[in-house]
Amino acid sequence: MLGGGITRAEDRVTIRGAYYREPSTRVIQPVVEISKDLPDGFDVDARYLVDTITSASAAAGTAVDSIFTEVRNEVGLRVGKNWERTRATLAYKYSAESDYWSHTFVGSLARRFWGDTATVAASGGVSLDAVGFRARTPPCLVGGSASCPLDVVFGGLAYTQVLSPVAIAQINLDSAYLSGFLGNPYRTAPGTGYEVLPDGRLRSAVSVRAAYYFPRAETGVQFQYRIYWDFDPGSGPNPWGISAHTFEGRVYRRLTRDLEVRLLYRQYFQNHAGLWCDVVSNPGCSAMDDLNLPYMTTDPKLGPLRTEYPEVKLSWDAEALRPYRFFRWFAAGAFEISYGRYYQNDSFGNAHVLQTGYSMPY
Amino acid sequence: MIKTHMPYLRFRLCLLLFAVAAAVGSAGCAHAPSPPVQPWQREHLAKRALRFDADPLEDHFRQHWLGAREGADLGFGQPGGGCGCN
Repeated sequence: MLGGGITRAEDRVTIRGAYYREPSTRVIQPVVEISKDLPDGFDVDARYLVDTITSASAAAGTAVDSIFTEVRNEVGLRVGKNWERTRATLAYKYSAESDYWSHTFVGSLARRFWGDTATVAASGGVSLDAVGFRARTPPCLVGGSASCPLDVVFGGLAYTQVLSPVAIAQINLDSAYLSGFLGNPYRTAPGTGYEVLPDGRLRSAVSVRAAYYFPRAETGVQFQYRIYWDFDPGSGPNPWGISAHTFEGRVYRRLTRDLEVRLLYRQYFQNHAGLWCDVVSNPGCSAMDDLNLPYMTTDPKLGPLRTEYPEVKLSWDAEALRPYRFFRWFAAGAFEISYGRYYQNDSFGNAHVLQTGYSMPY
Repeated sequence: MIKTHMPYLRFRLCLLLFAVAAAVGSAGCAHAPSPPVQPWQREHLAKRALRFDADPLEDHFRQHWLGAREGADLGFGQPGGGCGCN
């Protein structure tokens, strides 16, 4: 198997649960995924998940500070085809909630060469979203339509190289062009009523990853770095202008024959978007008046931001359950559980992130 | 006389160029460095620590909530979003 490159499905079922909690928002997300190998080099996997989001946060987008619960359903289907050194996939994802609907189509092609130590992969896709509105009629609602469109076209290139029997590296280049309604339908802004954002955004990122394994210590390390930038290709002055740097390190250590621990630390920095208003220190702020642009947002994630995320994860191959009558059914699989603390220096506040899962071949 | 020979000369010239290109290409392949890892040296490459795609569902969830909390996206596959969590 070539890490980070061209892996294929196997007959496997995975169930996972995730819990995210910050002071004013809770998310519970159960997921089930089934993958299956088919004849002639084909494989398929299907996924279903539910997001239950309970929020009481004005910062998260509600106009008033009241508790509401939103449910999002997502289904995904991916079909892959393998040749000797090439893999192609086609995927579709549908996501629906009470005021947002999204269809995403993705295709990818990967090819191994140089003795199967190098992989070049290209992917591309389109996402066709519809943004609904409650108790508001924005200008993008035309001709009696009930929603505004948001289209995303994206593509990426990745090169993965095995450097030695214990080292591997990867470089990724991704870009996405978003056009349509890019804001939150319910987030208010001083002076304009609701936030006003441009109709276009070109987002790009370059990332590098490297991993090294120490066989004697049964320990592996991974390092990732990403640089991100964005702008509006349709206007002169740049109302976006976010640039961000992400660093992440991971340590994998086998504790016993069946138990592995992973320690992760991630740090993220970004400057604020040009159209972002700091309403706390400047209540009457009008971000882009001096450039004669009508844009303004109070979205915390578009302000100056620094986040940190330490996490610990345990993965346990359940072979030890084999001698026990009922539990032997689970012996072929693996359990995992992780806990992370997400520190944010904005009004969302810090979050707890708990994830657990079980995956089993069948 | 010269005109009647022109197509034949062109054909021979193309054949010669092709032969030179093939020879150079073969020489290049013959001297291409061997892969850094042989098939019998791949024991550790399947370990989680050396795989960037070991946990796709976990990556999916992370992209989802980080996309709702940070201004950046992308870099490790397809974008997050596709939800009203903006």
